[in-house]
Parts: sequence; structure tokens; C-alpha cells
Amino acid sequence: MSESTFMGVDREKIDWCPTIDYSKCNDCMDCVEFCPHQVFEVRDDENPKLIVKNPNNCVVFCRACSKTCGLDALSFPDKNETTRKIKATRKAEKEARKEAEE
Amino acid sequence: MRCVLPCNGLDKCAGFVSAQIAIELNKADDWELVCPVLLNQNQSPYEKVLSQGELLVIDGCNTRCASKLAQKLELKVKDKINVSDMAKALDIKLGKELVVSDATKKVQKAIVEKLTETDTKKEMTAFAMGEIDYDSFMEGKFVFKVPKQGFYFNENDCWVYVSGKTARIGVSDYVQQNLSDILYVDSPEIGDEVEQFDDCGSIESGKAVFEVIVPVSGTVVAVNEALQDSPEWINESPYEKGWLVELELTDDLAEDLEILHDSPSYLEHLKKKVAQEA
Repeated sequence: MSESTFMGVDREKIDWCPTIDYSKCNDCMDCVEFCPHQVFEVRDDENPKLIVKNPNNCVVFCRACSKTCGLDALSFPDKNETTRKIKATRKAEKEARKEAEE
Repeated sequence: MRCVLPCNGLDKCAGFVSAQIAIELNKADDWELVCPVLLNQNQSPYEKVLSQGELLVIDGCNTRCASKLAQKLELKVKDKINVSDMAKALDIKLGKELVVSDATKKVQKAIVEKLTETDTKKEMTAFAMGEIDYDSFMEGKFVFKVPKQGFYFNENDCWVYVSGKTARIGVSDYVQQNLSDILYVDSPEIGDEVEQFDDCGSIESGKAVFEVIVPVSGTVVAVNEALQDSPEWINESPYEKGWLVELELTDDLAEDLEILHDSPSYLEHLKKKVAQEA
């Protein structure tokens, strides 16, 4: 079983993973080598060669791979927006639980 | 004796500048030059000077070839400079051409000044932490320690301990065990403002780079300078001697803490996490 929640929220509900700008990427694969969480996948004989295969493996708030990219081809969602959504989801779920108990 | 490892990159100007800086340091002071090509081939000519733990790494761009070489060879790095980052901070555009220009001179000057300036970072706050009691659990052959109380954690495995208006930040025992021997700490600058869950420096081992994600918002008022010489303190004492930065709290602390784990809750979270990974 893989880790399925982050801060009490289903990982699948959290939008956090790198987006590859293929106009900048030169297939150097430094990001693949760097990321220990198998977020990326390299596909031989396919175009594009590099894809984000496992977005939910990406550690929420970690942007380290984008810093290894000399070409600045990796971007991430807005951190404050992600935090706001996590807080809102937690709140909504807490209230739902409360209601169910009553 | 100090030594400097530039990337010497010839694919763009920033790499060329890294070499210029290394040459200038070598001329002006007692810095020994470390050639990245020779080092990659044979470490032995540099063994003596590298063993002194005074290695400066200069990367031209964010491909970080020199850093990666140092990491691959598991060299202990005292300090790092990135030419492109400095150029960006100065709002200077370095082109592709490998020539000395006003732009390269300005970046070079700023970096050399930064490297030779007297240490202004040594502002230490009087931080009271008291005696810490630990809980621990075992998974396989590893024992994981978590303080019994007083600490808060985010799920990026970074901790915060608050004393008055100051918060001390570090990484948990889990992080240091995952990374194994830590070789370099990249600290933020004093005065940097960070919001909850922003990155605030990183730590590196031969295995990986770990980005430090701050559990609370604040302004950096101190960094643990001792880690530049002794990064292994993070391995030996992640909650005490291996602390990373101190923040002066800015935001509403209660709101930040609300979405963090307290010590017992983090212990349970960590137990589940390592069991899943086993």
C-alpha cells in the first residue's frame, strides 16, 4: 500500500506535482535521476520521452526537482493555493464527521 | 588550506565565470584550485587538501555539475556558490559567449566580495530548549526517535520548537536516517522571510538532496553556523545540535500549529509511514 493521505487529506485530492514544459526540456533526465519517489517515467522510443507518471508520489510542497533543472522546464502549482485547499478540505471533512456523529 | 572546485563549464558564460572566480581566488589568497576534470578521473592529487574540509564549490548554472561531482565523490563541502543565482539576484543577464564583459565582471566581483566578507551571520539568539525526553520505535534494524513533547511536525518531516517569539526548525530523525551521512547544508540568508510550507534551504548526502519545508511562517534570524563544519551533527543529534534555522515568528502561530502534528501524533504518523515503506 502506498501512502494515501497528506495532512489528513486524500493525496489524490491534492493537486501537487511537476508540470513539464516540453518547449524547454532537453531530455537530460537529471530530474528522473534526482527524484527518489518515481514521479517521472522515461519511455524509450516514445514522444515525449519524459512524462509525469505518478503525480501522487510527489511529496506535497517539495519542489527540489525543479531546482536541479538547469533549463527551468519544471513548474509547480501555487503553494498558498494548495495550502488553502488542504485547509478547506480538512475543515469540510471535520464538519461532515461532526454532522455524522450528531 | 582552502580549495575551490569550479564547474569550469564551457557551454555557457556562467560556467566560464565560475572558472574566472576560482582563478581570482587562487591568485589573491591561499585557495588551491581543484580541476573538475582531473578530480573526476583521479581524486588522489587532491586528497590532502580535500581532507581539510574547506572545499568551496562553484556551480555556473542549475545543472550543478560541480555540486553533483562533489556529491558523487562524497566530498565534504564547506560552502557553495551558484553564478546564475547570483546574476539573477543582481538582475544581470549572462549570455552564451565566453568572454569577459562588464556583466561578468560585476557578477565575479559580487561573488568574490561575498566569499571574502567577514562573517556577519553569527547572530545567535538565546534559545531555551531544556532537556528533551525521547520516545522511540524500531522498524527492521532502524530505531526512530521522536521527542515526547514540545515539538510540532509537518508531513515533510521537519520540526519546529517554539520558545517565546522564536521558533527553531530542523529535520526529524527519519530524514537523517533516510539520507544517511549528511555532507552539506545549504542555509537560507538571515532576514529571509518564509511562509508556512515554503522551502528554506536544503541538506545533502551522497544519496539525495532534501528540501527543508518550514512548518511555520517567520523571518530567518539565525542559522546553525556550526553545521558548515559539522553537518554530521544532523545525523548525530537531529533535534538538538543539528537544528537548522531560527525564525522570528510573524504570522498567527496558533493557525500554523493547527495543521501540524504534535509529538505523539507525529510518532503515530511516522510509525505508519515507515511500516508502509518496509
